[in-house]
Amino acid sequence: MSNGVHEIEDAKLLFVFGYNGADSHPIVARRIVRAKRKGAQIICVDPRRIETARIADLHIQLRNGSNLALVNSIAHVIIEEGLCDDKFIAEHSLGFDEFKELAAKYTPESVAEITQVSPEDIRRAARMYATSGQSMILYGMGVCQFAQAVNVVKGLANLAIMTGNFGRWGVGIGPVRGQNNVQGACDMGALPNSYPGYQNVTVPEIQAKFEKAWGVALSNKVGIPLTQVPHYVLHESEEKKIRAYYVFGEDPAQSDPDLAEVRESLSKIELVILQDIYMNRTGQYADVILPSTGWNEHDGVFSCCDRGFQRIRKVIEPPADADVLTDWEIISRISTAIGYPMKYDNTEQIWNEVIELCPGFYGATYEKLDKYVNIQWPCRSRDLSDKGTSFLHKDGHFANPDGKAKFSSIDWQPPTELENDEYPLILSTAREVGHYSVRTMSGNCRLLRNLEDEPGWVQMNPELCDELGVKHGELVKVLSKRGHCVARCLPTDRVKKQAVYMTYQWWIGACNELTIASLDPISNTPEYKYCACRVEKIADQAWAEKYVQDEYLNIRQSMGIELKKIGGRAA
Amino acid sequence: MNHYVQGDPLLCIGCRTCTIACVVAHEGKRIFEIDPDGYDFHPRLKVIKTWSVSVPIQCKHCENPACKAVCRSDAISTMDGKVLIDQAKCIGCKSCAEACPFGAIRMVALGFEVNPDGSRRSVALKCDLCDGLEGGPACKRVCPTEALRLVDEDGLSHSLTLKRQNTLKAASAPELCGRPQP
Repeated sequence: MSNGVHEIEDAKLLFVFGYNGADSHPIVARRIVRAKRKGAQIICVDPRRIETARIADLHIQLRNGSNLALVNSIAHVIIEEGLCDDKFIAEHSLGFDEFKELAAKYTPESVAEITQVSPEDIRRAARMYATSGQSMILYGMGVCQFAQAVNVVKGLANLAIMTGNFGRWGVGIGPVRGQNNVQGACDMGALPNSYPGYQNVTVPEIQAKFEKAWGVALSNKVGIPLTQVPHYVLHESEEKKIRAYYVFGEDPAQSDPDLAEVRESLSKIELVILQDIYMNRTGQYADVILPSTGWNEHDGVFSCCDRGFQRIRKVIEPPADADVLTDWEIISRISTAIGYPMKYDNTEQIWNEVIELCPGFYGATYEKLDKYVNIQWPCRSRDLSDKGTSFLHKDGHFANPDGKAKFSSIDWQPPTELENDEYPLILSTAREVGHYSVRTMSGNCRLLRNLEDEPGWVQMNPELCDELGVKHGELVKVLSKRGHCVARCLPTDRVKKQAVYMTYQWWIGACNELTIASLDPISNTPEYKYCACRVEKIADQAWAEKYVQDEYLNIRQSMGIELKKIGGRAA
Repeated sequence: MNHYVQGDPLLCIGCRTCTIACVVAHEGKRIFEIDPDGYDFHPRLKVIKTWSVSVPIQCKHCENPACKAVCRSDAISTMDGKVLIDQAKCIGCKSCAEACPFGAIRMVALGFEVNPDGSRRSVALKCDLCDGLEGGPACKRVCPTEALRLVDEDGLSHSLTLKRQNTLKAASAPELCGRPQP
């Protein structure tokens, strides 16, 4: 995020785009509620009537997959009505003239059909955003999980640049990232193209710096993104093929699109290693399982979505009889075993190595993390007065070499797989509060499992339910070109009739059996928010209930979960 | 006056943290039993979601409770400003659940009590304001958006005063409200 999460409360207008805070991050949603209480206006752009939509001054219930058409049209109105910050554009940006030409095409009337939004609402949103004086954009997976994703982010950035909503308190653009430490994974270089601190692997000076620090020769080639693993297993030539797959705190056999293809890949890879705290779906294909400690059993540093480093501390010892190690100890031992001796005594030593090699993190010492709790990078000086950076781009200075922001002129493109006669509905994956990610953690918490359990729900508009003759709680079959699964019908008028929504953590109601592996060309993120599907009634409900029960038992047994009965009641 | 917990739909984000907290408060250490079913998951409130509202619904602890009036087994009483159900006395007739105008009572099967025929005892359950538990209602304590408040006499009177003032503003000429401008 360009601005701190804590700044959300102080914005005068929140433009919440494809971000369902209440379900993904209640703690961030709390900031949105507080902003509202402090008098902020809220525009919510989402095809569903999400919690933020209820308290919004304007809810734009756009058609799924029309993001960039809407964003460009809002830009059109801002230009048309003379609401731009001309001084900011002139002093701090490049490419506005070209962008003006593109935006000219996107009249609210011209996109009304694509977006299913009235021209008046588009105009109102543009005026509200451009004139509040302090507007902040928050976006989430409703932007990122499309084949056209990065370009929508650029489109949203256009809005912030043209109205001067960058480089101040309570403005900017905030990707509220999906998981607690996904920012940390990127910060630490768990990306195919960078070392820790976003230092590119293709830059010779950077390569030399890390070679010197680590005492080994390093590759200057960009690696393979996670979502392209199936391709590199199934369709690449012998010499390019992936042969071993070390999966670490991830469950691609549950979380990746088109699970049938993922399973085929996992069975064909010669070696699969899984490092996790509990057994999961990917573990069923693993040759080696390395059990690691849970979040409360080890120390470390997490990065928040707003670039804030925070220490996490061990609360309890792992059970004495559990043969587990912390992740960093496992990695050190693996590394040592394959010929690169790695030895640390504690996480502070590792952290010191990280900040020594990353200029942007250099000042974020354990001492300061203890003293100030949260340090947002960049933090370049070890001096105690450098407490990090709450918002980026101060005084309109951007991270490009010339210090200027760049407008992007990009046309809207429709999603990859559109509805058709055979599959007339849109399937979009979503989140539910209570279960986290692939359920490796929350599915093993009995309270949360009691709150919601297999096979999960499919959210459907009541009119659609009536047409199909299905009722609340009834098991239904959901199908796409790629596969099918069984889930419970959840009628709700918070969703439109044309789209159904499922959460992706369930083993039986596994919506990723259906999703499409169509990737954004830049981020390689799959189009989880759009594929064509069909919902079918199951006539024999007794059979379906038994199927779910048997399937659950099978999966748990195949994972080696003991189903002991204690005290006479069924487990 | 009996107290009650009231949710504010403008603050509620429908996250159900209250639901979990309710179970944790009432089951205590039993949630750590080795037996996965060694505790009961019976939240005493229910978050409802409609087009325009998300909010938990729970017992209002009525001053003249309909549930108590219809109870044939003397299981419902008012004590220390709370309407309470004595599950040991409950015969499971469901009359209270039907009588409650708010839908705040539900029937649950208790895991630890078995009928003579081996079936689990089904009894009426509702919010008891965490009677006897330290710190007051758990739902209110955990709510991330502070959407829940415990309404007592002062709280009710304060909110009524605010409403009266708003009525005055709406009903009168603006110049009659507040001090004259200098």
